[in-house]
Amino acid sequence: MKRFFVLLSLVVMAANQLIGLSQAADSASSTIQFNRDVLPILAEKCFACHGFDQSGRQAELRLDNREDATAKREGLVAIEPGRPEASGLWARITTTDPDEIMPPEKTGKHLSAAEKDILERWIVQGAPYEKHWSYIPPVRAEPPIVEGVSHPIDRFIHSRLHQEGLHPSKRANASTLIRRVSLDLTGLPPTLEEMDAFESASSKDGVKAYEELVQRLLSSPHYGERWGRWWLDQARYADSNGYSIDAPRQIWKYRDWVINALNEDMPFDEFTIEQLAGDLLPNATEDQKIATGFHRNTQINQEGGIDKEQFRIDSVFDRVATTGTVWLGLSIGCAQCHDHKFDPISQNEYYRLFAFLNNQDEPTLKVFDPDIDVRQLTAEFKETEKRLSKIFEEHADELEAWETGLTSEFKKILAADARKALAANRDKRTFSQKRTVFSIGFGSVESFRDANERYEELDELLNKGTSTLILRELDKPRKTTVFIKGDFTRPAEEVTPGTLSILHPFESTSESPNRLDLALWITHPKNPLTARVIVNRIWQHYFGRGLVETDSDFGLLGSRPTHPELLDWLACEFIDRQWSMKEMHRLIVTSQTYQQSSEDLAALRAKDSNNYLLGRQRRLRLDGEIVRDVALVASGMLSPKIGGPPVFPPIPEGVMGQGQVKRTWTVSKGDDRYRRGVYTFVYRATPPPSLNVFDVPDGYSTCTRRNRSNTPLQSLTMMNDAGFFELATELEKIIERDGLKAAFRRCTSRMPNDAELAVLRKLDSITAARVLLNLDETITRE
Amino acid sequence: MNCHPHLRQLLRRHFFSRCSMGVGSIALTSLMAKSSNAAEGTVVMRNPLEPKPTHFPAKAKNIIFLFMAGGPSQLELFEHKPKLTELNGQPIPESYIAGKRFAFMDSSHKINLLGTKRTFKQHGQSGAWVSDLLPYTSKIVDEISILKTCKTDLFNHAPAKLFMNTGSGQFGRPSMGAWITYGIGSECDNLPGFVVLQSGPRGPRGGAVLWGSGVLPSTYQGVPLRNQGDPILNLSAPPSVSEAQQRQLVDTVRELNLKRLIETGDDEISTRINAYEMAYRMQTSAPELMDISDESQETLDLYGIQDVKETTFARNCLLARRLVERGVRFVQLYDTNWDHHGGPTENLEKHLPENCRLIDQSSSALVRDLKQRGLLEDTIVIWGGEFGRTPMGEVRESTGRNHHIDAFTMWFAGGGFKGGEIYGETDEFGFGAIENPVHVRDIHATLLHQLGLDHERLSVRFQGLDFKLTGVTPANILNDLIL
Repeated sequence: MKRFFVLLSLVVMAANQLIGLSQAADSASSTIQFNRDVLPILAEKCFACHGFDQSGRQAELRLDNREDATAKREGLVAIEPGRPEASGLWARITTTDPDEIMPPEKTGKHLSAAEKDILERWIVQGAPYEKHWSYIPPVRAEPPIVEGVSHPIDRFIHSRLHQEGLHPSKRANASTLIRRVSLDLTGLPPTLEEMDAFESASSKDGVKAYEELVQRLLSSPHYGERWGRWWLDQARYADSNGYSIDAPRQIWKYRDWVINALNEDMPFDEFTIEQLAGDLLPNATEDQKIATGFHRNTQINQEGGIDKEQFRIDSVFDRVATTGTVWLGLSIGCAQCHDHKFDPISQNEYYRLFAFLNNQDEPTLKVFDPDIDVRQLTAEFKETEKRLSKIFEEHADELEAWETGLTSEFKKILAADARKALAANRDKRTFSQKRTVFSIGFGSVESFRDANERYEELDELLNKGTSTLILRELDKPRKTTVFIKGDFTRPAEEVTPGTLSILHPFESTSESPNRLDLALWITHPKNPLTARVIVNRIWQHYFGRGLVETDSDFGLLGSRPTHPELLDWLACEFIDRQWSMKEMHRLIVTSQTYQQSSEDLAALRAKDSNNYLLGRQRRLRLDGEIVRDVALVASGMLSPKIGGPPVFPPIPEGVMGQGQVKRTWTVSKGDDRYRRGVYTFVYRATPPPSLNVFDVPDGYSTCTRRNRSNTPLQSLTMMNDAGFFELATELEKIIERDGLKAAFRRCTSRMPNDAELAVLRKLDSITAARVLLNLDETITRE
Repeated sequence: MNCHPHLRQLLRRHFFSRCSMGVGSIALTSLMAKSSNAAEGTVVMRNPLEPKPTHFPAKAKNIIFLFMAGGPSQLELFEHKPKLTELNGQPIPESYIAGKRFAFMDSSHKINLLGTKRTFKQHGQSGAWVSDLLPYTSKIVDEISILKTCKTDLFNHAPAKLFMNTGSGQFGRPSMGAWITYGIGSECDNLPGFVVLQSGPRGPRGGAVLWGSGVLPSTYQGVPLRNQGDPILNLSAPPSVSEAQQRQLVDTVRELNLKRLIETGDDEISTRINAYEMAYRMQTSAPELMDISDESQETLDLYGIQDVKETTFARNCLLARRLVERGVRFVQLYDTNWDHHGGPTENLEKHLPENCRLIDQSSSALVRDLKQRGLLEDTIVIWGGEFGRTPMGEVRESTGRNHHIDAFTMWFAGGGFKGGEIYGETDEFGFGAIENPVHVRDIHATLLHQLGLDHERLSVRFQGLDFKLTGVTPANILNDLIL
């Protein structure tokens, strides 16, 4: 899994507080807003026991809707609108009696004086409730008018900065910009020629040069690799089965499908539908079936002694949770065992969603070379098999005589499978064993040799080629029930497929709706969540943080957007632009907000130290694959090949022995040694260490936001790893050929200054090359 | 504009006191004079692993977890059940197993009781029952708390190992060692805070995820110390690089990174500078740690180490002591092949005694050695596996037992755990607890408690959930087991 990490809830609260910098109810006169001011308090401090979850509810009191909270119960009322002094809630949160105080001390929760004040004033003002913001469809607001600013994103951002008396930073210089936008859009740093061309064009017309640069990058096939990886994290893609046995699997066709779809700018709704239900589309193409690999990226337990149904159910649990997290930004998985504690998602609804994803077979699809005639070759294959069988019969007696005469010395030198074939009872040998035995004894018989060669050719074309994991709907749906406490051995009432009632209505004309209906519901323009969640996750990539910081929790406990109108505007824009992801990228990277300098200025730091208001850009350490990609480009070694089977770059010895089953890792030869990190084979149980130390997710569960840790093991990898050292020796050659300046520029995309050069000149060229690859700046985009 | 005085002071302190490599050729003053627009705020020299305050005063500082991977049989080691021997071969009463699920239900699982062939005796003042397979452990029973009623939720290896380590059978949760280094950091500045050692014929089922950091940053994940090649991956410089070159590399990277720090004011660069320093220190400290030739013959004999280079559980026990001596917070030893179903390489007659022989002397030696060095007070030693084994026998090539999750035995020593305590009582077959059942989450809560951490408060929010080592079900501190 991995992993979006928030330093406790402090960060979330910091964000929530910041949003309130000048808007929130900070004086007694201002109006309390339920969603902004009250709900975060109730959700955090009260709903665990007085919320939506029926089973966890205490004293039969719920505070998550007004009707219940204001109802008279045995003469008491929790909230008496307008009258705190008559409200049980107010009495209980202000009492000094430790047995009475709410929240109870043992929960570790505590209301601050400011929070109590908000609750009091809210009750005074009539205790109005609002629906949670993210369940209300986005409304397009007109971007505020800011003098001299035309880009809509900048109008939202600048207007907010101005409210705080802050100003945006200046535009970053040309070399920073081309590095930033190249890394962000393609994951590769610019070449020296590209830098020269851009810097020269910029000096003439900065805006035009930049727009052309963006266009070139969006058209580059490397765009699909960069943003494909963004999606593959969410798809929990890896190349092995996971759990303890962790055998390799083939599903890279799905990875290539994602890269191609992004390069072709497949609209996001279509992109979604094909992955969730490509097999159910009319006349589904091979590609559309391959796309359903999205939900085959779950683990498969091959351990002995397991109950297969248990792990099949586990994979469906994972599919439900992943679907909720990735598209809806909701922690639906919480309702697997009980009603959701905070969001209005019942356990029954959870299993109605489960029902959509419970009806498939999990087959392997053979993917044939498009140039072959499968039907004809299959017929020929069967024919050849018959021919061989006939030959075996014809020579049966001779074969038996030959076998009887075999010495144990002879058998010893045979390969294991040959020995096994010989040891098998003659009548019970498989076809393949018969072939093996025959080829040892009578391999030179001409009729056999011809037929056998053809057989092997056809076997390769038809059976041993590429395959990929897909979904296929069962003709007859499985019965789905609620599982008590999420335990598959405790089925309860049966449920039919259905969606969350808190969101837009589910429309299907079918009597038994299936995954396709679910996919259509998710991508329905009326869905208040999907567009917001996805644009937020795109935004997060560019600024290191989403407009909603909790990018995978848009529910009641998530953080509120720092710029709600901008988020809604972007979501509407996404739908209006036919769900084009490339257009959203273009929109964001052409804003001044994106192009600002990342320098941490004193004025901004004083007022907005975490940069929630985006008065500057932010330095971001590159993702693990790209740390290596940059070194590959800098040293001139990158193989630009797109797609194909995963590759095996060098890894330290002994790594593969850490799992239960030792896996082989035969280092790729030739160009495949220098392919981009997105193509590196990933075993879930023993992930490649140089990726793993840089927080590359291991594919156990969906990862919507990576950690960016900064550790000594990263330093050791960069300094000493044989793979990195090899690239340093290549960069050394460049230093010797083109000089230090050129090498410095290949790593950092800027010219070194005199002081830097003086420091580097003291070193021999291999040490200089290693220093350059190890610089913080080399693995950072600024 | 000159560098802010506070920043200057921090940098100065950083360089002149914290840096172990000396100042070298760094033109610090000139670099600082030339800067720049850096924010006039504080630049904190951050080390994510530096010690952090506990929630309340701690009774222990370190944990060494001896993990017998596969599930050791409590019925051959700690659970003396004459009734089981008496009824050997007869089916277990239906009331015990009605509605229960086991591993290998479809193949080799059986319901006939299997009496043990081991002999049991009572030992020490506590009178704890220990079998003849653990002669050394039987001598330390008054130092340890034996917990007989451990209970877990999952009965397949990888999920159960995950559960014991992370409190969940789902992948992607932080492991106990990660939680602890995240919670209180580490006192060691030249080794990782969480270290994993392995012995036995293969790696543990589940692999790296057992010591993973899950939703926490990878800073907190366990680092396997390897017995062959570099003890830590990529620890040594490439073969063609000289010591002087390596040092130049580190010095120059620091110098240029520092310059960038002053220009940008980005704290991440100071963290990276620290990381390189620690990496450099590890290059010396890790080989020094692994070289046990400086240990006395008496110590080697205590652990039963014959060859100081050979990878054995005994050597790992000694390394564990050396690690906690150096301030490493959490050390986990995996010893594999305790899965005694009765298969060709894992049965109760031949292989379990061999496994025991390889761990018995050294695990008791570890407790004694820690004690004589005054380290046991601060260090919790845990012995156990992911689950135990059934009272019913399993017949494959030879005799064995199936996985069992309702009651199994673990022991705890040091770090505020009582000595000579025997806790929990099982029924006449050792199938389930009849007194004081203890769930894995209670063990987790108690361990955190001993380290000064409140299991309810040690949490992190991820995808809308507050993750905790102990999960959502309430956990209990085992007050009867601790001083």
